Amino acid sequence: MDVKRRTFMKALGLTAASTVLPGCDAEVRHLVPYVLPDDEIVPGIADWYASTCGECQAGCGIIVRVMEGRAKKIEGNPDHPLNQGKLCAQGQAALQRLYNPDRLQGPVLRTTAGSEGPLTATSWDDGVSRLAEKLRGADGQVIMISRPLSGTLAELLSTFVRSVGGKLFFYDPDSELSLRAAMQRGLGVPGIPQYDVAQATYLLSFGAPLLEQWVSPVAFGIAFGHMRQGRPTRRGRFVQIEPRLSLTGANADRWVPIRPGTEGLLALGIGRLLLTAGKADLPQKERAAFERFYGSIPLQEVATGTDIPLDQIKDMARTFADAEHPLAIGGGAACAHTNAFAAHLAINGLNALAGNLNREGGVRWYPDAPFPERTDVEWLSERRINELAQASAVGRQRPLLLLYDCNPLFTLPSTIPIRRLFTNASFIASFSSCLDESTAMADLILPDHSRLETWGDHVQDGSSPRRGASLIQPVVTPLYNTRALGETILDLTRRLHPETELPRTFAELLRKRWDGLATSGQSRPPASPSRWVQHLQKGGWWPSNSTTMQKLRTSFPAPAYEPAQFDGETSDFPLHFYPYPSPTLGQGRGANLPWLQELPDTLTSAIWGSWAEINPATARSYNIRQGDIVRVHSPHGSIDAPALHYPGIRPDVIAMPIGQGHIDYGRYASHRGANPLSILAPLFDAASGALALGATRIRLEPLAVPGDLVLLEHPGTKAGTDLLSIEKPRRAEG
Amino acid sequence: MSAGQEKTTEARPHRWQMVIDLDRCTGCEACVVACHAENNIRISGAQEAAEGRAINWIRIERYWEGEYPDVKAKFMPVLCQQCADAPCEPVCPVYASYHTPDGLNAQVYNRCIGVRYCGNNCPYTARQFNWFDPHWDPPLQEQLNPDVTVRQNGIMEKCTFCVQRIRQGKEQAEREGRPVRDGDITPACVQSCPSTALVFGDGNDPDSQVAQMSKSRRGFHLLESLGTHPAITYLKRLDE
Ligand code: SF4
Ligand code: SF4
Ligand code: SF4
Repeated sequence: MDVKRRTFMKALGLTAASTVLPGCDAEVRHLVPYVLPDDEIVPGIADWYASTCGECQAGCGIIVRVMEGRAKKIEGNPDHPLNQGKLCAQGQAALQRLYNPDRLQGPVLRTTAGSEGPLTATSWDDGVSRLAEKLRGADGQVIMISRPLSGTLAELLSTFVRSVGGKLFFYDPDSELSLRAAMQRGLGVPGIPQYDVAQATYLLSFGAPLLEQWVSPVAFGIAFGHMRQGRPTRRGRFVQIEPRLSLTGANADRWVPIRPGTEGLLALGIGRLLLTAGKADLPQKERAAFERFYGSIPLQEVATGTDIPLDQIKDMARTFADAEHPLAIGGGAACAHTNAFAAHLAINGLNALAGNLNREGGVRWYPDAPFPERTDVEWLSERRINELAQASAVGRQRPLLLLYDCNPLFTLPSTIPIRRLFTNASFIASFSSCLDESTAMADLILPDHSRLETWGDHVQDGSSPRRGASLIQPVVTPLYNTRALGETILDLTRRLHPETELPRTFAELLRKRWDGLATSGQSRPPASPSRWVQHLQKGGWWPSNSTTMQKLRTSFPAPAYEPAQFDGETSDFPLHFYPYPSPTLGQGRGANLPWLQELPDTLTSAIWGSWAEINPATARSYNIRQGDIVRVHSPHGSIDAPALHYPGIRPDVIAMPIGQGHIDYGRYASHRGANPLSILAPLFDAASGALALGATRIRLEPLAVPGDLVLLEHPGTKAGTDLLSIEKPRRAEG
Repeated sequence: MSAGQEKTTEARPHRWQMVIDLDRCTGCEACVVACHAENNIRISGAQEAAEGRAINWIRIERYWEGEYPDVKAKFMPVLCQQCADAPCEPVCPVYASYHTPDGLNAQVYNRCIGVRYCGNNCPYTARQFNWFDPHWDPPLQEQLNPDVTVRQNGIMEKCTFCVQRIRQGKEQAEREGRPVRDGDITPACVQSCPSTALVFGDGNDPDSQVAQMSKSRRGFHLLESLGTHPAITYLKRLDE
């Protein structure tokens, strides 16, 4: 609890002796236009500023066009090694977070107890001093749940929460914890490594939604384009294995509709075939362990279990073995079951069998970060949240809950008593910048600036060959009476630990950290005032060449294969249910941005709502017409959604996009569609504790009344004209 | 803005063209948001969209092929094809829809009287009519691009090939006393596309990427038989 100045500063990666650089304050506040090459400067009065996207964890470099103090457009930073000037739909729509009409415009407070009372405006001084007082009285019973953070803000927050005796957790429903756990166990790396899709010649994806909002969407998009048409003589082949054809799967040469939860089983079969064909190049000692693991299930059982003909499995194994750069990736649907961890070990083991660890077109990891990384913050799995919620109900101490930019009340099923964690809290403070289902429960909201109004940095993870750090800088003056989270934390620290000497502003802390770390090691950004300005102009620092790789190797034995568990008796609940993150709205975060609401789901052309995807044959057998409402019953509740006939789904699976069904997330998102997460069973991946999204069985009740399905394509009108069927590839010319 | 009325000082007129490689397009729709942001495209909302009145200058069409389990979905970005022989042009009674010397199919908003003949005549459904005045909940309007006119009720609109960017690129080249170079001008959709499915340039410059790529054996034009001579060449997606 009692943190002395020295330890606080040290924990932030600063020496206690470091002083404020003269003129530093004025300098950091000065916005530096991003310097475009001369021939790219747009005439007129537009300035471009470099910063970093915050819409997902990838952290693409952005440049923002600013005219007369208003941000006009976000584009990719051409200098950034990750996204090379490109940007995804979500990154571009971040402009509507800055100008969102539903943003909180200043600190608000609930004066009556409970979450029903009205929120009234208060001053920053009052808000921060109230929270400081609560923290003083919390006796270390402090839980902070934040979206995953990186760089200086992560350091500050973690130091601060520790200084009040509390515990900081990162929570992101998209974090694919089972995949991360398998990478840690199988390869010994603390994250998702680089999959070199660009150079792959045969990509075997077990449900990985790599062309959607997954891991690093823009980087994968760039790599995919290269894999297909970037090499003059080679076009990489791509097979997607998943029960429901995803947007990613639509780009594959072949879709393999596997039985849900058997992705690992298929990988075992393929691995076994690689081993028996003598294709695996392994030392004798290791071979035995691999053979034990992959040989545990007979091939015929694999074929029956996965519902894939044996010939097709053999064909995949043969092509994988013969390919110059075969690459296996698991994710998405393969992360959605209770055996996900084991499945990922089996999937990733195929890369080891094919000998494509540490090489082009394979799997690589770059350990040298320009800044030391925070590794002590626990990532919350859904099972861990379940435990915390259960504990909060029995403990005598009622914890103080701090929330930042995450919405567990929306992204968790109601079978996990997360609400209890909220109602049992002695006090809830949120730093989120708009109301959502979770922040609406807060007693006090001290709203953060929008990303485009704030300072910060983002350290790239070990999947980046040119692993560097990007800077976040304010590109416009703050619209409202909000405050950057970093400033609020510094303010709280000053009140709680008056003996601590702190930088005056978060910007100063950021600057010092970049300066302080700059001298040690080659993979660190060089420091000097002019360098700092350069870093701001460029949007960060990254090495000009690829940094050293860590030699990866797969160590078995892994746990034996286990079948996936499902909730709900087959007799009562005959169908599988698979809620998947919407390619446009993610897990609901994007739902308050009108550009994303109006962005048609590419595969269905649906906008502004939710729907239940059903195989046309299943629809016929239930007599469900397109657009009619179906009631989806799980053992834990039911939701209604319009049915959408979807040719790319197994007849025994019903899929629904996640993202809609908000009740309190601003005017664009609230009371629109249904949230499929709400009816899921509390089943988790055994090893990582990640929620098994696809483990709940359901039954359908057709209501035979039309729902509010809005599709952009209107069959029968000109918009539905089949332009492609008349496509005539030109005859060879010259 | 009177779209595309600039005069070129160069002897050889430009012929702005685009190549869309369907083997690269992933259907990610980064281009769609880019176009909305760049061109002040209105937010329609669920109600208007349900009535078929949402506006998109670029859309990703999706085609299902085959039946479960051998089913495939294919994507095709569709925007105004900037036809050389544009069916939308001769039907406009007030010459709001006309052809620029650069080969752009332009729409003069302040001439348009909203009879929608052009929209009915466009075989690609590229033209979209404003049935309502646009509305942005404040402060969303702060984002609007001052280089692009906001279109009101009763006006027909469509993709301009980001004519404001073309104009800026040409002005810049003129200031520097040099011809426009290949790659100087990138429409918003092209700029954003992660997989580089979209390529833009001057088809009259034989060395331009777009001129080279449009010669591909995979190339085809949409509804070629109609004789519209589109400025957009599609490259066929390859099958296994
Ligand atoms: S992938 Fe998209 S959301 Fe994620 S950081 Fe890049 S631009 Fe932002
Ligand atoms: S941005 Fe590119 S890849 Fe994405 S949908 Fe548009 S054209 Fe296709
Ligand atoms: S060229 Fe410009 S106007 Fe046309 S679709 Fe692309 S972004 Fe929109």
